[in-house]
Amino acid sequence: MSYLFAILFYVSLGIFAVGLALKIRQYWNTPAPLKIPTTPAPTTQAGVVFRMFREVVFFESLFRAAKWTWIFGWMFHLGLALAFVRHLRYVVSSDAFVWPLINNWLVQFAGQYASLMMLVGLLGLLGRRILVDRVRYISAPSDYLMLILIIIITVSGIMMSFVAPIDIVGLKAFMTGLMVLDWQELPSSVFLIIHLGLVAVLAIIFPFSKLLHAPGVFFSPTRNQVDNPREKRHISDWAKNSGLDSADGV
Amino acid sequence: MKAVLIQLLLVGLMLMMGGAVASDRVSLPKYPQPVGDQCVEPTDIMRREHMNFITHQRDETVYKGIRGIAARHSLKDCIDCHVGYDAQGRAVPINSEGQFCESCHNYTAVSIDCFGCHRTTPDEVSKVRQFTGKP
Ligand code: HEC
Ligand code: HEC
Ligand code: HEC
Ligand code: HEM
Repeated sequence: MSYLFAILFYVSLGIFAVGLALKIRQYWNTPAPLKIPTTPAPTTQAGVVFRMFREVVFFESLFRAAKWTWIFGWMFHLGLALAFVRHLRYVVSSDAFVWPLINNWLVQFAGQYASLMMLVGLLGLLGRRILVDRVRYISAPSDYLMLILIIIITVSGIMMSFVAPIDIVGLKAFMTGLMVLDWQELPSSVFLIIHLGLVAVLAIIFPFSKLLHAPGVFFSPTRNQVDNPREKRHISDWAKNSGLDSADGV
Repeated sequence: MKAVLIQLLLVGLMLMMGGAVASDRVSLPKYPQPVGDQCVEPTDIMRREHMNFITHQRDETVYKGIRGIAARHSLKDCIDCHVGYDAQGRAVPINSEGQFCESCHNYTAVSIDCFGCHRTTPDEVSKVRQFTGKP
């Protein structure tokens, strides 16, 4: 079992890292031929950074668009971020200089209870797909599958955290063992096997799924462009030096 | 530009992981050997559930007055068996660096406040005698 999971982790994290890198390269190289920031948009680069910050941290445009989706989506993502920080304790060495930031009552406590907020958010998002006619009509099986996958991961995590504790020392040994190639036993727990198995599945499908919105938001032309079409002429990268970039070329 | 960004990212990640990558063996918490040859419950169960046992015991003691030998999971007993001793034979507080509770909790980022009130070294009338027959 331990070896199976060790191999599964190497493979799934490999697919995750390479797949994600290729996708980001693709996004990076995709031309944005037109100046299309959604107005009102900032007129300076610093303003764009601030807008992107609000978008990523508060989901500003979703807030303006749909309050219910926003509240559940934001609960889920905030919970995810807090739980993520708590998870660092399984992989970061207690000798690392960032350790005091992780080995901290507030961080661990917030991470543990944030999981409940995460679950409420996820159930809300699932409810939206099932209960709102308009949304049900446009929901594809993959929309449900992603939600259900993450719900099961969350519930198995909550079980370990609140109901059926596992050998955390053993788990940390297993995880750090993967990193230094000194393989250790995986502690036995049904919930841990469900949790880690589905995490591996999630990592594998991530680079091919709608979860790519995470890196994708940074590449959205409607969000990452400065509103200065008059001050500075916008020329797509591929059009530069092609003769089309002269004033009368277009 | 892109290459520099990616390299910065990777270096940052490695720095974060820090010590874990610096050695080629897994590190585990290290603490003094406990007294006796078994714990109050099987070792693998203690490892996972000791917090539930002691907090349950606290409720039993504080609400129902169960103390002494009947208090199977008393916090005092944990300390009696698990405390370490220095070269002079004096008990070292169990929540100080490298000691039983601390080393393990530091490894797993757990913070407890119990020792703000509870003593960290064995009592004179410690129950350890009952367990071990030691004076
Ligand atoms: C505010 C001070 C305080 C804090 C903090 C505290 N306790 Fe206690 N604890 C007490 C008092 C007072 C008693 C009652 C002692 C008695 O009646 O024998 C007690 C009793 C106990 C008992 C039963 C007596 C024994 O030694 O077996 C246990 C077990 C216990 N506490 C565990 C804990 C744990 C675990 C923590 C940390 C999560 C903790 N306590 C934190 C004050 C505290
Ligand atoms: C009679 C002495 C004794 C008492 C009392 C005792 N322990 Fe232990 N404990 C031991 C021994 C001996 C071991 C190691 C057993 C082994 O090696 O399998 C141990 C193991 C453990 C472990 C597992 C350590 C590991 O290797 O991962 C934990 C956790 C633990 N004890 C916590 C406690 C707590 C909490 C209490 C108080 C409720 C307690 N012990 C009371 C003797 C004791
Ligand atoms: C084998 C390693 C290990 C040892 C030794 C150990 N603990 Fe723990 N302890 C843990 C882990 C891991 C957790 C947290 C589990 C989690 O986060 O789900 C924990 C949690 C706790 C908690 C609950 C904390 C909370 O905020 O929920 C208490 C109380 C506690 N330990 C007391 C003790 C005491 C007292 C001792 C020393 C007698 C001790 N532990 C020794 C590993 C250990
Ligand atoms: C390698 C990857 C992972 C490992 C080793 C891991 C391990 C664990 C463990 C051991 C727990 C129990 C914590 C405890 O007992 O206190 C847990 C809890 C949890 N996990 Fe994971 N997990 C991983 C990935 C994920 C992912 C990708 C998600 C999100 C979708 C997730 C969501 C949760 C949640 C919500 C909890 C409950 C809250 C908490 O205690 O942090 N985990 N995880």
